[in-house]
Amino acid sequence: MASQVSADLVWEIVRSNNSFLVKRKASGGVQFSRDSLNLTNKNSRKWAGFVNDKAIGVAPADKEGVKVLSKKTSASNKPTSSISETVYSGGKSARKTYVAVANQAAKSNYRADLREAAVARASAIRHSYKTPKPSPEPKLRGPKAKKAAE
Amino acid sequence: MVAKHIPIVKKKTKKFNRHQSDRFKCLAPSWRKPKGIDNAVRRRFRGRVAMPSIGYGSNRKTRHMAPNGLKAFLVSNTNDVELLLMHKDTYAAEIAHNVSSRKRVDIIARAKQLGVKVTNAKAKVTTEI
Repeated sequence: MASQVSADLVWEIVRSNNSFLVKRKASGGVQFSRDSLNLTNKNSRKWAGFVNDKAIGVAPADKEGVKVLSKKTSASNKPTSSISETVYSGGKSARKTYVAVANQAAKSNYRADLREAAVARASAIRHSYKTPKPSPEPKLRGPKAKKAAE
Repeated sequence: MVAKHIPIVKKKTKKFNRHQSDRFKCLAPSWRKPKGIDNAVRRRFRGRVAMPSIGYGSNRKTRHMAPNGLKAFLVSNTNDVELLLMHKDTYAAEIAHNVSSRKRVDIIARAKQLGVKVTNAKAKVTTEI
């Protein structure tokens, strides 16, 4: 059973003010969303996971893994128990993880439109586990360079 | 897919100063549109100062952009940096002025992990030798 209130109505009510929304006045009034079921963190109808009956979220998990959250349509009136979690551990190869994430999004008529974004987010999260390159030594200029040369 | 590079063009880099603000010291240079019936600036006569108009606006695709092609997003903690995970090619993090140097170190480290650029990464964390 779908939620008793339509997602369109909920969205029209909460789009300008909700607990996940982050607004900034700079950069042309950008709006982001902290929603865990939002794949791009943009505040828009397509990505607003807390509004839609079906939604996918990708988050970091333990041991350099990736966690995929999805909404159960059967429990749409119970917000806490409506979210199911699937963990893909960091030991799994990148390609296998992406195939699994893509299948979870697009197979069995779930949300095929979110497939690409879900895989992209999983990839970005995996990438963030890598140890970043050390920043190069700053080149000294002017009097400091002269001092160092001595 | 790599988007085509759009150069950032500023059509006018100088400010629009209020008409005759150069002649009177009590007249502030902040722009006020001349309203007089005979005003030559209002009537856009040749050789007079230009008035601001919508045509001076920047291309929408490059509006609010810094010279490095990124827009600034103000962050106060590491959770704010996480928001930019999928937008590191569009937005750079800018640490708010009232964040302590201890927390700045955390923010900068997290931003580096995510590959997010920090515009003011050197502020308050570097010390003079």
